[in-house]
Amino acid sequence: MRGEGTVIIGMGNPQLSDDGVGIVVARAVGERLKQRMHLTVTELHTGGIRLMEAMAGFNRAVVVDAMVSGAAPGTLHRFDPEDFITTKNTFSSHDTDFATAYELGRMAGVHLPEQFSFWGIEAREFDLFGEKLTDEVAAAVSGAVDHIVAQMVEWEGTA
Amino acid sequence: MTTRLTIDPVTRLEGHGRIDIFLNDQGRVENAYFQIPELRGFEQFCVGRMAEEMPVITNRICGVCPEAHHLAATKALDGVFGAEPTSVAKKLRETLYMAFFVTDHTTHFYALGGPDFIVGPDAPPSERNILGVARKVGLEVAGEVIACRKRNHEIISFLGGKSIHPVAGVPGGWSRAITPEERAQIEDTARKNIEFARFSLDIFEKIVLKNPVYREMVTSDTYLHRTYSMGTVDADNRTNFYDGMIRVVDPEGNEFVKYNPSAYGEHIAERVEAWTYLKYPYLKKVGWKGLTDGMESGVYTATPLSRLNVSEGMATPLANAEYQRMYETFGCKKVTADRYQPIHHRLATHWARLIELLYASERMLELALDPELTSPETRNIPDPARFTGEGVGSVEAPRGTLTHHYVTNERGVLTKVNMIVGTTNNYAPISMSIKRAAEKLITTAAPEEAILNRIEMAFRLYDPCFSCATHFLPGKMPLTVSLRDSRGELLREMRRKG
Repeated sequence: MRGEGTVIIGMGNPQLSDDGVGIVVARAVGERLKQRMHLTVTELHTGGIRLMEAMAGFNRAVVVDAMVSGAAPGTLHRFDPEDFITTKNTFSSHDTDFATAYELGRMAGVHLPEQFSFWGIEAREFDLFGEKLTDEVAAAVSGAVDHIVAQMVEWEGTA
Repeated sequence: MTTRLTIDPVTRLEGHGRIDIFLNDQGRVENAYFQIPELRGFEQFCVGRMAEEMPVITNRICGVCPEAHHLAATKALDGVFGAEPTSVAKKLRETLYMAFFVTDHTTHFYALGGPDFIVGPDAPPSERNILGVARKVGLEVAGEVIACRKRNHEIISFLGGKSIHPVAGVPGGWSRAITPEERAQIEDTARKNIEFARFSLDIFEKIVLKNPVYREMVTSDTYLHRTYSMGTVDADNRTNFYDGMIRVVDPEGNEFVKYNPSAYGEHIAERVEAWTYLKYPYLKKVGWKGLTDGMESGVYTATPLSRLNVSEGMATPLANAEYQRMYETFGCKKVTADRYQPIHHRLATHWARLIELLYASERMLELALDPELTSPETRNIPDPARFTGEGVGSVEAPRGTLTHHYVTNERGVLTKVNMIVGTTNNYAPISMSIKRAAEKLITTAAPEEAILNRIEMAFRLYDPCFSCATHFLPGKMPLTVSLRDSRGELLREMRRKG
């Protein structure tokens, strides 16, 4: 199976305050880049096998998720693939972490991207129902979008 | 003075949930508690909204079982609007639900529950996962699991109108009909599901039941609790996931009560403990006696095993044959013509889950072969004269009975929202199983890996899903176990990264 194009996956729950920041950022990146490249924007609530399945058929994947690491709210983190499980929703309590799910997909012959970037945005409020981001996190959205867009444009240049 | 042993799932992301095990002066386990903070503000989030938003709001509460919330919410709206769904609408809802059950039970068996048996309870966590299962059973099983998820997700997508969070449920029905081609796809999927369920039961038979060590583990009293059992049954008192009456049997297998889900408030109460946000549901008419089992304790269980315990056999032939085989294996005597004494050995829940997987597959085929399934009569438009302003919707989520209860004002604006989610039913039994696992191991000074493994096995068998109530992440979770003496001094710390 051959894949094509890039998928950007916004993870989180848009009804849990800052937990939904990954979705907000992924949508905004999609808007910015839709004229420039073949890009699919996907929203995902839970990780594990679902996350692997959401990447099936693509050559590159970008994952944007909320994080709770203790850093200042709004801080943007970028991860190498071996650090996958450190963002908030990439693990599924009902199956497994992303790294295991990725291996499973490979074992099953699913075409999966070899190029990834994982981004985490530090959340302040993540267990309170609400449809709005907190001020600090909302203020960090455009900077996060800039960083992710720049990285994706760089990928495109090296293709 | 008691000693406190803390098992803390210190994920690097969130550090909320933890398990506290209290030891007495003799060093024996006195009690085990789960402490999990819940998501906050759900009722406030919903009150003031239009009731018909609930099927699409609640299906986002949980990333694991959006379909269960979507259907419970839709059924609650049938009540609020006084709109009885058409016959085909009920069948379309149930078809989607069977596809969901197949994916959910499959994923649990291969990714979470199965590895404990198939790879082994004492295998290191790096191998005790779905990859280890594939290496042991055959690499093709990885492809089978992925293919099963894919074909059922396709059914859920076109029936539900959206790939992950269904939107098709409306009061009085379902917002789309299906084509003959779609019906054929459902039939094909159901047939493949039946084969896959039989294959999975065969693995369980060969690897677990035929292995004397595992068979002993399943039938031993390590996780044995004689609680009441709860499940939804149809008009013939057989297991149904989508609709029916709630039936409860006592620890001996006598029917204790059967009630309409809308009467849950008369039968279920919630015990609030100061040390946790969790509320422990219990049977009101039996009463709360603490985290203990027996006829006098109102603790009940709502799991695949308890659903089978309350059922007069399964409504489909292959699943019914497996049902009989399970109870016969445990030496249970019949209490009615079709039902056996309950099984209280909690590890049998894994077996019961596979029997339910087979039932869901067979039921899906029955629905697919029903000529009515392609009928365009998918909705009764609510009649304002029948509006009631209150509704209770109940389904069996894979992990227990799920209840949504809404009250609205005369304009359909929500004024009260209450939910009992599947896992919540089992908080008390989960704590009891953790305690039992700890009792067996801590007094024998077992190695730390064994303690962590057995405690994980205890809550995994319930297939708990905390994402709708909490941010606690069991499964492949990092654990820290601290053993403290009665003055709180640290005696021993055990740690495992996820």
